[in-house]
Amino acid sequence: PCRDTARALGSSPASLAPCRIMPVRWSRYNPSYLEPEVKKESYQKPLEELTEEERELMELKAVRPIKAAPPTLSSSVFSDPMISKFTNMMMKSGNKVLARSLMSQTLENIKRKQLEKYHKAPENEKETIECNPYVIFHQALKNCQPIIGLSNITKGGKTYQVPVPLTDNRKRFLAMKWLITECRDNKHRRTMMPEKLSQELLLAFNNEGPVIKRKHVLHKMAEANRAYAHFRWW
Amino acid sequence: MLRNLRGFICHSLKLERGCALHTAHRDGLSSVSSPERPRAVFHTSESDPAKHTEQHEGRLYNIPLEEVNAVFPHGLPHRFQQQIRTFNEARVMVRRPALELLGYLKGSNLRHPAVRYVIYGERGTGKTMTLCHVVHYCSRQGWLVLHIPDAHLWVKNCKELLQSSYNKDRLDQPLQASVWLKNFKASNEHFLQEIKTQKKYMWGKRESTEEGRPLREVVEQGLARARSACDAVGVLLKELKLQSHRGSFQLLVAVDGVNALWGRTTLRKEDKSPVCPEELTLVHNLRKMLRNDWSGGAIVTTLSQTGSLFKPSSAYTPQELLGKEGFDALDPFVPIPVPNYSPREFESCYSYYLERKWLQHEKARTEDGKAELQFLSGSNPRQLDRLAGPL
Repeated sequence: PCRDTARALGSSPASLAPCRIMPVRWSRYNPSYLEPEVKKESYQKPLEELTEEERELMELKAVRPIKAAPPTLSSSVFSDPMISKFTNMMMKSGNKVLARSLMSQTLENIKRKQLEKYHKAPENEKETIECNPYVIFHQALKNCQPIIGLSNITKGGKTYQVPVPLTDNRKRFLAMKWLITECRDNKHRRTMMPEKLSQELLLAFNNEGPVIKRKHVLHKMAEANRAYAHFRWW
Repeated sequence: MLRNLRGFICHSLKLERGCALHTAHRDGLSSVSSPERPRAVFHTSESDPAKHTEQHEGRLYNIPLEEVNAVFPHGLPHRFQQQIRTFNEARVMVRRPALELLGYLKGSNLRHPAVRYVIYGERGTGKTMTLCHVVHYCSRQGWLVLHIPDAHLWVKNCKELLQSSYNKDRLDQPLQASVWLKNFKASNEHFLQEIKTQKKYMWGKRESTEEGRPLREVVEQGLARARSACDAVGVLLKELKLQSHRGSFQLLVAVDGVNALWGRTTLRKEDKSPVCPEELTLVHNLRKMLRNDWSGGAIVTTLSQTGSLFKPSSAYTPQELLGKEGFDALDPFVPIPVPNYSPREFESCYSYYLERKWLQHEKARTEDGKAELQFLSGSNPRQLDRLAGPL
């Protein structure tokens, strides 16, 4: 059975000890395996419209094996990679069902609050109120992303906080992490997570709130420590 | 100019004006909706359920908010109440099971014993909303509505269980009884003033209600003294049952989750022995009310698996949910199945959400998004509502 799973996964282990547990989570596929294509539009294009590269890719897909699609990959038109990432970060001990329901309740909460404001507002202000929870979510995350970060560099026995540029991934990660920790730690014990999160996201959308403040504090620290910027070697 | 003329001809052919009165109300104009907006087709301006016919099937009708507070102090599902608060209006869809029930009620002879109707269906198909539609119709027609919003609340999660003073074997639930009495009083004020008691009732050693006093005093006695709230409810039900055949008022008994009355309870007595439903005063009196030995009204009930105790989640038929005892007690009844949305009703609901800006996602407006919503929800109203929430 171990040898069958190994052959199915396409990995080529150096030695096959009988009845050893095969690693599944970070299993290495044989490099010949191709990524699965989930988007419906790519299959609906007629043959003539494809470019040379796409035609070659299609012929390759007919011969090569394809990797198994991970459960997070969805062909739904409503799926959003940022929302999935945020849901994964909110998840505790693998309870994706709970994390996903919390996320959908948060989005619904945001929508309800904004719609109530929209219906009560006078006509001229109605266009300024944003009711789409996805737009609010993305804008709030963008507002929370720091531009520059700090890194600990040890030189001559002392550790310095050195201002350092951040990659896009790191910025997104920091924004999401700050939002979640802010909601988990600094709120009243009895408030539900969707309620707390929707409040924080709306504040961040308007460039207010504790998360934006934390970002500004980080920027100020980086500005204060700019004398040590030359310690960075990358 | 020509477009408006075409609009008027279309509307007269449709036999009723499907005009979006709510947007007109918002803009302060009194104009008929223009024909360029096909979404307005799925609304109807007919807010009297008595005039709803098959033409209105699949359309949404508006209940004015003051009427909602007067007629439904405690009947509507929680999600629907949230929707009313968000959209600032109460729109109920006219569906075939409700039209069927209304037809039966209109044609029923009130001198015959009360007919029992049981609304059943799978989870989230709209049984409670059908019941609310019927309750709205009856209250518009001037019937006395005895609406028990969820019978499951009486057989579980009860903090206080007192021994009944009237009958030592039974148990009282003062909290649930007083909450229900308060809501009943809010919806049926004028009836309580007119109907008089026919017997003298003693509440304990000192207090009593004489013969010929209005029923309002019985209700107020129940609200003032929590201990006698259950007995007040029992007296109320008994009086209504005795006097309904006279014809001065028509009585509608609307019970949601009637399978709770014949199931099991999660309550325990002080010696940790389980409580049977018939040992609860409220359940005992309600069971007596649901027998068809009185005339001058109708009994409309709903089965519900969602709040039920010790029943599998796939059970939805009357046989499964009521059990042998309940089925024999309710037999004979008229079963009314409630299916999922038909394609037309789905269209109507989807257009309503789009129009009230509930579906905010850009892709939700496309054909792909609509097809995906239909597939994922399986045209089930509750699933559609849950799915459309975050979108």
